[in-house]
Amino acid sequence: MGVKHNSGDQDAQGPAHEARPKERPIVERDNRYWLSLDHYAQDPEFLKKVDEEFGSSPLREDKEEGWARREFMKLMGASLALSTASCIRRPVQKIVPYAQQPEEVTNGVYNSYTTTISDGHETLGVLMRTREGRPLKVEGSPENPLQGGATTARSQAWLMSLYDPERLRGPQKNLFNEKRTNKDTVGVTWESADAAISEQLKKGDIALLTGSTSSPSLKSVIKDFSQGFRANHYVWDPISYEDIQAGQKASYGEEGLPFYRLDKAKMIVSIDADFLGSWLMPATYNHQFLATRNDIKNMSQLVVFDSNYSLTGANADIRVKIKPSQQIDVVMAILNELSKLGADVNGDLKATFADYASVGDEMGVDPELFKMIAKNLWDQRGKAVVLAGGPATQTEWGTSLQVAVNYLNSLLNAEGNTIYSQAMGNLAGGAQQLFALVKACGEGKVKTLIIHEANPFYALPTQAWNDIFKSVEMIITTAPLMNEVAQHAHYVLPMSHAFESWGDSEPVNGLYFLHQPTIRDMYDTRGLGLSLMTWAFMAKVGPERIQKAETYFEYVQAVWRDSIFSSQGKGRSFSQFWDDTLQTGFVGALPSSSGRGFNASALSDVKKIKGRSGLELVLYTTTAMGDGQNTNMSYLWEMPDPVTKIVWDNYASLSVNTAQKMDLHEGSVIDIKWMDQTLQLPVHIQPGLHNDVIAVALGFGRTMGGKIASHQGGNAYTLVKWQDTPVISGSSVEVSVVKGKKIELACTQGHHSMEGRQIVVEATVAEYSKNPGANIHRHKVWNFWPGHAYNGHKWAMAVDLNVCTGCSACVVACQSENNVPVVGKKYVLQGREMHWLRIDRYYTGTPENPETVFQPIMCQHCDNAPCETVCPVLATVHSDEGLNDMTYNRCVGTRYCSNNCPYKVRRFNWFNFRKVDEKPTQMAYNPDVTVRPRGVMEKCTFCVQRIKEGKLKAKLDGRTLKDGDIKTACETACPGNGIVFGDMNDPESRVAKVFKSEPRAYALLEEWHAAPSVRYLSKIRNNGKETMDRDSHSQKGDHS
Amino acid sequence: MRPIGLRQSGGALKRLAIPCLSLLLLASLTLILPACTLQTGVGYNKGYSPEQPIAFDHSLHVGTHNIQCTYCHNQVERSRHSNIPALSTCMNCHAQVATNSPQIQKLREAYEKGEGVQWVKVHMLPDHVSFNHAAHLAKGVNCQTCHGQVETMSRIEQVTDLSMGWCVNCHRQPENNAPINCSTCHQ
Repeated sequence: MGVKHNSGDQDAQGPAHEARPKERPIVERDNRYWLSLDHYAQDPEFLKKVDEEFGSSPLREDKEEGWARREFMKLMGASLALSTASCIRRPVQKIVPYAQQPEEVTNGVYNSYTTTISDGHETLGVLMRTREGRPLKVEGSPENPLQGGATTARSQAWLMSLYDPERLRGPQKNLFNEKRTNKDTVGVTWESADAAISEQLKKGDIALLTGSTSSPSLKSVIKDFSQGFRANHYVWDPISYEDIQAGQKASYGEEGLPFYRLDKAKMIVSIDADFLGSWLMPATYNHQFLATRNDIKNMSQLVVFDSNYSLTGANADIRVKIKPSQQIDVVMAILNELSKLGADVNGDLKATFADYASVGDEMGVDPELFKMIAKNLWDQRGKAVVLAGGPATQTEWGTSLQVAVNYLNSLLNAEGNTIYSQAMGNLAGGAQQLFALVKACGEGKVKTLIIHEANPFYALPTQAWNDIFKSVEMIITTAPLMNEVAQHAHYVLPMSHAFESWGDSEPVNGLYFLHQPTIRDMYDTRGLGLSLMTWAFMAKVGPERIQKAETYFEYVQAVWRDSIFSSQGKGRSFSQFWDDTLQTGFVGALPSSSGRGFNASALSDVKKIKGRSGLELVLYTTTAMGDGQNTNMSYLWEMPDPVTKIVWDNYASLSVNTAQKMDLHEGSVIDIKWMDQTLQLPVHIQPGLHNDVIAVALGFGRTMGGKIASHQGGNAYTLVKWQDTPVISGSSVEVSVVKGKKIELACTQGHHSMEGRQIVVEATVAEYSKNPGANIHRHKVWNFWPGHAYNGHKWAMAVDLNVCTGCSACVVACQSENNVPVVGKKYVLQGREMHWLRIDRYYTGTPENPETVFQPIMCQHCDNAPCETVCPVLATVHSDEGLNDMTYNRCVGTRYCSNNCPYKVRRFNWFNFRKVDEKPTQMAYNPDVTVRPRGVMEKCTFCVQRIKEGKLKAKLDGRTLKDGDIKTACETACPGNGIVFGDMNDPESRVAKVFKSEPRAYALLEEWHAAPSVRYLSKIRNNGKETMDRDSHSQKGDHS
Repeated sequence: MRPIGLRQSGGALKRLAIPCLSLLLLASLTLILPACTLQTGVGYNKGYSPEQPIAFDHSLHVGTHNIQCTYCHNQVERSRHSNIPALSTCMNCHAQVATNSPQIQKLREAYEKGEGVQWVKVHMLPDHVSFNHAAHLAKGVNCQTCHGQVETMSRIEQVTDLSMGWCVNCHRQPENNAPINCSTCHQ
């Protein structure tokens, strides 16, 4: 058999060995891309920091104490003790087999179950990988019609809430004194709690407060319960969509939220709707949006008018910075241009729109811009959509904005094409209902209040709730841990985690997901459904269904049998239907609708916002924190914000000019004053922000959200004007500087500078059409490496920058799969974050108006790996399948490999980070991946455990490995299928095709000829320009 | 802040202590290291044969009655682990067979209570080593190659040292055509 010999330059241009030293690689310095403002300004402090990769070293002599030497002796002592210990007989370990072997469990082999994660407003159909009855990893469910396998960073981190050490182990009773100030609790049994609550419920006047739920069964059980006890049900979410609902009502006479079909759109205009980050259903909309970006010549165009620098703005082909009071102007200016293009607009309205002809000038943007947007929208009518929404549009003029947007959409014939009306009946929570509840409590009409998945004590100023404590005789909550609600509740009846319980949901009308438990109840917990059923049963009230069912599972089945089976059964028996649904995880289809008539008279309320000056507040939700209710998950806190790359904090973002004017620096502390509220926060200087905007993230500043979530950042909900339609953004705020105080923000970007070489490549569609490989600089490389022989497999990866939105699902998926520790803010500040996969965010352009590119970077598994040659103990060596193996037990921690890695992907364990994990967090560890101790290097392994699992499975099945059998954790998490992993030696594999024939593919630092096994596909911008902007200071052809 | 005098005397002590400690360290290393590395088998538990909570006799089951290994260790062909059989597997036969034996009564008691038996682990690899039973069986490696003549053992004993050298020795034989990447065993 002939030996295939991959010398590693198969992808270089021309035979490498012919190159002469005079053609030494050209080292490029492309300074158009910058990581931070310091970097942009070439600040000497920053450049010094870049040189110093690790920030600090324990062996650096401390002048005061000289501790470094002591530390050395201590370490030596420890290693001496260890070397003696290894000669002693090991501790005895026990193996405890099952008494009764469960049929489906094979020790050491994964079982995957379909289930559902309901995270606030988004419901994700997922596959849960479990081992020996223990959920270990959330994977996307590819057949799911809504997300198609997409996941989010939050859903990937969801596992940590199951294994949260602070979860309550059983029901608790609060030992209140007369004034209800005592916060001590005592454990009680379910029997005694049920008895006391039943007694209380007999008194009547019961109210239930819940967040929005998409579960038909939970809604039904609440309805049955309310019917039996004549209870009132109030639904409230801190972040709701009341502006959209109000706008829908004014425009069409119906309140329901629409479902958007971005996958059918060729032209998308978003006004502050961060649909890729946190608005409505980010996984779904990421998936839909990215489906329109694959066919590059016909790809969609995304235009974003952005008050904050949102993730959606960062992915826009054209991003325009605005302030909230310009939102309506923008829409009206587009309408004005559209009316000139032949849209059916009557004369009066035309005159109204003409008032907005000068908006472009007022905003200081190219007046042609609105013409172009209107033209593109008009050309794509029926395939265009305009979105507005999110906390940034919930302003005093929010309804008017929505009406204008609805009118725009109706002109574009979007209804029934890209917008399906009335399709999300689930999100019904509104502040009106909350105020109705407060009023009822104040009037003494509530004796018992049951609170489930709602936390008004965190989001609302406490003052409004004092009425409630005083008048309600008993507050009951299902909080899973002692949070702000639980400390005020008489009974805390912790609910079972979603992964422990049965349930269902209807994320969009007509599509049903089943939740199935993937682990037995870990503690003595119970879902709200069963509690309501128990109390109804004890009181003998309510319809037959709630009386008859003994478990919530039976109840769910009964609901499905009564309401869903009839329409979705399709001739199957119920048990067959149920089993089939469990297998796929869903039943039903995406909704559809036809167009509706727009009520043009609503437009008369749309008025220009005039006379605004000074700072306008923009509140936003982040990809990681959501609305802030479920945040006790360390993975989320250490996930860098996709745009700012800051971890563990929230901050007030100001534009570069405003910060300069106020003499503020990164980390300066300011007081934000609004009405009688003051919020103190550090400043983050955000490029690309409107000068009149101050942007703050919601979801931080919990006072009692668990050890991880509490006391991190400031609670921006205090700046919300709570009224029937809450005013979240657009308020005028005063800012004053807190002198002499500084809060350092832990930003992960800047530690890993790429020294200005060609790392990300962008091209416009026009450039791509002429030359698909546009702007990629190919290099002549010369080589003195003998190369490696890859006779079996040769693993490789391709990452498409064009479909990377920076959503960071892969970052958390990698962390969850590979037992990557969380290090905390202190160590991130020292550059010690441990993520194996990071997403670099590059700004390009000016700090006033930069564009953004995202680039996921993991170990490149180089053929000529620089790390391998410098390891003195051969702890990192090349495998015969092209992997750069890392052997932890051989590593002595010299960190030479990290110094020599041009991609800066290696991570060093400065401490035994995992040692501080409290039980049962360890249960989330992947048993196939070694937990690394202190003093060793680690890095991406291409999920070698999955490679081995896939190979073995193929072997045991007696077949050869197929492309797609092995999927890395990041690959399965990606909403856009942007990461492809496979075997280069299989010519039919997707990755081999990319390497061989994809013109957009390029290797990082090709000129250095480390011959990486990862290819990046250049990003294409559909911005209507001929070429990428080249005005910045680039210094090409710089020989080093 | 410590008083200055104390600090000085502490410094003097430290100056003395460091060479002393270094000497001690060197001396211990020269003594201990050879003891650990040169003397084969030390630290590897070859010959380890602990007493088990139930005196299960492999020589009786495998040797006398010729029961296949995979009859009880039934997941070994599809998993990285060789499972210790569940008590329900034992009870398949012992509901009828040898019900009077005190050992079987222990077994029955545990089974009826639904409690697992706490067997003492004999063959143990460190956490950073990943061994896959199924892969070896698929390649046709005999159980006895690593576990010895189990059919003759009344109490199970570790007969090989299960050291890295011992693993690699076999993987290096050309006829075995086995991978010798680091990630073959360390992941």
